[in-house]
Amino acid sequence: MGQQIVHRLLISFPALLGVLFLCFCLLQVVPADPAMIIAGPDAKAETIAAIRQELGLDRSIPVQFFEYIMRVLRGDLGRSIISNKMVSEELAMTIGPTVELMLGAMLIAVPSGLALGTLAAVNRGRLTDRIIMACSVAGVSMPVFFIGLILIQFVGFKWALLPFTGRTGPVWDGGLPSLILPALTLGAVLIGPIARLTRTAVLEVLGADFVRTARAKGLRERVVIIHHALRNAMIPVVTLIGLQAAFLLGGAVVTETMFSWPGVGRLAVGAIVSSDFPTAQGAIMILAIAFLSINLLVDVLYVYLDPRIQRR
Amino acid sequence: MSADALETGFVPERDTGVSRAGVLRRLARDHVAAMAGLVLIGIVLAALFAPWIAPYDPYFTDLTKVMRAPDAEHWFGTDNTGRDIFSRVLYGTRNTLMLGLVGAIVGGFIGGALGILAAYYRWLDGWIMRLVDIMLAFPAILIGLAVAAIFGAGLTAVVIALVVATVPDVARVARGAAIGVMGQEFMEAGRAVGVSDRELIWRYLTLNCISTIFVFLTLRFGQIILIGAALGFLGMGAQPPTAELGMMAAQGRDFLFMAPHIATIPSCAIFVIVLAANLLGDAFRDVLDPRLQT
Repeated sequence: MGQQIVHRLLISFPALLGVLFLCFCLLQVVPADPAMIIAGPDAKAETIAAIRQELGLDRSIPVQFFEYIMRVLRGDLGRSIISNKMVSEELAMTIGPTVELMLGAMLIAVPSGLALGTLAAVNRGRLTDRIIMACSVAGVSMPVFFIGLILIQFVGFKWALLPFTGRTGPVWDGGLPSLILPALTLGAVLIGPIARLTRTAVLEVLGADFVRTARAKGLRERVVIIHHALRNAMIPVVTLIGLQAAFLLGGAVVTETMFSWPGVGRLAVGAIVSSDFPTAQGAIMILAIAFLSINLLVDVLYVYLDPRIQRR
Repeated sequence: MSADALETGFVPERDTGVSRAGVLRRLARDHVAAMAGLVLIGIVLAALFAPWIAPYDPYFTDLTKVMRAPDAEHWFGTDNTGRDIFSRVLYGTRNTLMLGLVGAIVGGFIGGALGILAAYYRWLDGWIMRLVDIMLAFPAILIGLAVAAIFGAGLTAVVIALVVATVPDVARVARGAAIGVMGQEFMEAGRAVGVSDRELIWRYLTLNCISTIFVFLTLRFGQIILIGAALGFLGMGAQPPTAELGMMAAQGRDFLFMAPHIATIPSCAIFVIVLAANLLGDAFRDVLDPRLQT
């Protein structure tokens, strides 16, 4: 298992370098002259020169890139042009809410997707199956913001059941109500694909020899489905969740923006709109690293679910 | 292997057991797919002929008719500046579809080329696949955000994001298909009779992979549209007053409680387009390339 993870980490490394380079470009290369932007329009030549030196802009690009990586490793991502706070501080404040939102969405999407997919597989060809599959195709085709708009308008505004702007606090400190609608919006997008794949996987497993054996042993159908079929069907589903991580992150950016959720995605969008390059590169970097980490986590989960992979 | 197949390098119908005319017939027999196809054709035609169909100028603001609910005069109502939403949806569909098409075609072309080259030249394989892995490390929305941060928000940023989002997956699918074709006898036969690399790659390899790539792209088209719309919604795409469905939904969000139709109608339009594309993509896959089934 350790080897598997090391291997995966080695593959992630060039990807990480790519991410860092992109962020570096954002910070150093993009603005015609970052020093001038930071100094402001009426700055004197000496001030600009001093800032250039402070930022290391007078050195060659490879040297600058190396220094940038060193700074990132030290946790120094620069200062926000808008709020003048350290970018690392801003990120530290926003990571928690984003993780909370994504976990909340997964907590909604994975169990319901698995349940619906299994239900459809067990009732293959019947009305239940058809309804579930139709809903899942519809779900896959819905823009995240459409679901959000409907939830905000009805649950949030008309029926006033749940708050729909901002975050009142961490989940353990009375923040649960404000998490429900954003998490539901983000989770809803994932239910469809998970249900669909679970159905295929369970159908495949239900035809396998070991399921027949389990039935022949006289196990109850529920035990057969949950312990034998579903557990084995989990492997492709976990892969799917890994593949959907990109979707989840993208969806999180949209959801955060819609619900004014104080997460990394909203920070990134806000920074880009206001040309706050240091904050934008920090936020984009964190999101990309999060994506790489999710994929790594999925690989580890694999080995846990299917010990055969370890021996390969 | 017939002499004809060796000559053209193309092994049509026989492999999948489906003839070209049969594809359409089978699609037509599938009622859902037929409906989806008709809806999609209708949408594409409406978008193409938007300037002739649209009852009003999509950019004409009329402050005496602000935020009207849908009625006989304005089928989809008017927005916060009194513009006719039906006309704007027509023009918006045009932009949204075009973004998706450009993303799918350019991304499909680059991805297909990368995948096929990786399969043909084994020494390139490692490099190309690593590149693909790196590209996969950037979720499309992030690319969109990054490109928008670099070049400023606009349609270009969205197109680049959509292309980058399409390339890696297409490259993987194309490589898989091409490796399958590489194992066929006619490749060896072609090489034995002295067919040039270029000819082998194009006539033997590419033409045999195209249907797989095409099916994969139709399956992905809905998602590409969704990503484009999401970027538009975030304000990274088309800038006002240009009509683009995602952006229109975002603008309507500010008036959600007074005039919900402003945001809901463009969102619905995206939903219908993507749903039709997904249903049609699924049907295409079932008929043309069942191996892609998940």
